[in-house]
Amino acid sequence: MIRTEQISFRIGAFALQGVSCQIPAGQYFVLLGPPGSGKTIFLECLCGLKKIDSGRIYIDGREVTALEPRARNIGYVPQDYALFPHLSVEQNVAFGLRVHGFAREDVVAAVTETAELLEIRHLLSRRIEGLSGGEKQRVALARALVLQPKVLLLDEPVCALDEASRQEVCAQLFRIQRKLRLTTIHVSHNLEEAFSVADRAAILHQGLLQQVGTLTELLRKPNSEFVARFMRCENIFCGQAVAQIAHSCDTQVKVGNIQLRLSGRYNGQVKFMIRPEDILVLPGPDDSSCVVRRASCENLNASRNTQYAIRNTVPARLQRWRDCGSYVRIELNPPFGGVNLVAHMTHAAFAELQAKLRPTPRLSGGNSCFRRNDVTPAKAGVAPAEAGVIVVLRPENIHVLPGF
Amino acid sequence: MAAFIIFILTLIISDIFYIDRKAVVAVITSRFIRHALWMSIWTSITCTFIALIFAVPTGYVLSRIRFPGHALADSIVDLPIVFPPLVAGLTLLVFFSQTALGRWIQEDLGLEFVFQPKGIVLCQFVTAASLAIRSAKTAFDDVDRRHENVALTLGCTQWGSFRRIALPLAANGIIAGGILTWARAFGLFGPLMIFVGSFRGRTEVLSTTIFLEQSVGNLEVALAIALLLVFVALIAITVLRLIGASAIEKL
Repeated sequence: MIRTEQISFRIGAFALQGVSCQIPAGQYFVLLGPPGSGKTIFLECLCGLKKIDSGRIYIDGREVTALEPRARNIGYVPQDYALFPHLSVEQNVAFGLRVHGFAREDVVAAVTETAELLEIRHLLSRRIEGLSGGEKQRVALARALVLQPKVLLLDEPVCALDEASRQEVCAQLFRIQRKLRLTTIHVSHNLEEAFSVADRAAILHQGLLQQVGTLTELLRKPNSEFVARFMRCENIFCGQAVAQIAHSCDTQVKVGNIQLRLSGRYNGQVKFMIRPEDILVLPGPDDSSCVVRRASCENLNASRNTQYAIRNTVPARLQRWRDCGSYVRIELNPPFGGVNLVAHMTHAAFAELQAKLRPTPRLSGGNSCFRRNDVTPAKAGVAPAEAGVIVVLRPENIHVLPGF
Repeated sequence: MAAFIIFILTLIISDIFYIDRKAVVAVITSRFIRHALWMSIWTSITCTFIALIFAVPTGYVLSRIRFPGHALADSIVDLPIVFPPLVAGLTLLVFFSQTALGRWIQEDLGLEFVFQPKGIVLCQFVTAASLAIRSAKTAFDDVDRRHENVALTLGCTQWGSFRRIALPLAANGIIAGGILTWARAFGLFGPLMIFVGSFRGRTEVLSTTIFLEQSVGNLEVALAIALLLVFVALIAITVLRLIGASAIEKL
């Protein structure tokens, strides 16, 4: 278990400002934040490599604030691994054991066991300079784990790896963490990485801990615009509460020329966000009412409250779209006062939308992606003005950002 | 690189063809030249050893610790490199003969340097130690501090992380600094003539012997001594490199 109480540390113009958090034993905790937010400094403070100006640090219930790094029983893997280039892999892994004066046979046994855990036994006699990024990462991890630390601190452990290796190494990190039940803090700026390993996460920005919670909480219920944007929500709007809806806890909020229904009671200005993947885009708007009704029956039949789900139906024009690999990012132009709405659709849903959109002469002439029988997949496109759609925004998917 | 090596070898070979057998025999049989050679070797090695003892901690502190006046201290370390060699000799002479502190060191402490063999080492140290310090600092600058940080988390003390990580990783730079220091000390001439003179059998080193021989017209002997100096330097540099590397590896 790691607990920090109001950690403050100043270096030049940057300062960690009263960072408090608690990470239960055996939890995989990911500390997220943009570059320069203080993530590495926070880890170095936990290690004792930087002496904090104020605050307290507890590891396994024992205060370690004043202890030297060697007395904290922490395994630390810095960015780029910092393997000792003048030593072999075996000597790197055994380094901590030799410093602690373990007997030769104990060193060999511990190194072998750790090397087997990390599948690097075949590398033990190698020099560091010939290793690949993934191999270096595993050697650095073995070097940290061989001393059986109570806490493992990983500073951007996979940032130097290619995409395929990243996923593999993340899976391995998670497997090892679960096997050893090791309290782990993993620093990263990459959301995919966090999703692949984290039990819980926090977001640090300019030395301040913005929010701590599960990734779902950070994703669905961000407590600030910064957190929402960091979690890649592009749809953040300002509106004006105009009426409380009778017999419900909902509020009518005016955004541009549209009134949206939001769950909860609000007054005055309201800032809210809608995640791009929570937006339902349906064909329209010529026979929008029947299309929406039909579409809602087709697409929302899983929802128990279909009527409620389609309360916020907004006509919009599909402006442009881009194939982002695993999803299609589309930009819509609802009458929100000139602000675009971004939605993410699966390829199947987007293909269905394309098929349902009524082709026009301009469509068939100008943009192949909107032809009915298009067989050539395009990577991106600009939709014509006639590509009208209906956007469905469920009130329960609209999250009001607090403190506005 | 090949052109440079060929040029240097051409210079040496032209010297070899210039000298005659008589000059070689004179150099080999002369007691004074053997003494000068011995003086050159032991003073330059002693100077290098002392310079490295100073250079490693000084270079590490300059590289790792920012303290008030750091930039000034860094510049002062470099001053002897840009001193004209004669100035170093004159400055030492003035200090030990004209200042109270210098006289106290010589007369009361009994550490006599002026016109003494000990003065050779001091003179060499003043002019050459900067090279060792500069090289050590650059070498420590090149050692990523995260290596030492990791060593600290793995159980090392500050001294342990320095000894096990920083020093071996900076070894090549430190050895290079040692070689430069030794080379500068071994071939030093100007300051020695002023501070310790060139007394036969006492404070004479190879570089001053060359000067003395050529000043009395023995050009062949002077060149033969120069070749002896080159030969010894070549062996010494190779040996220093090997001994230095293995010594630091053993740490």
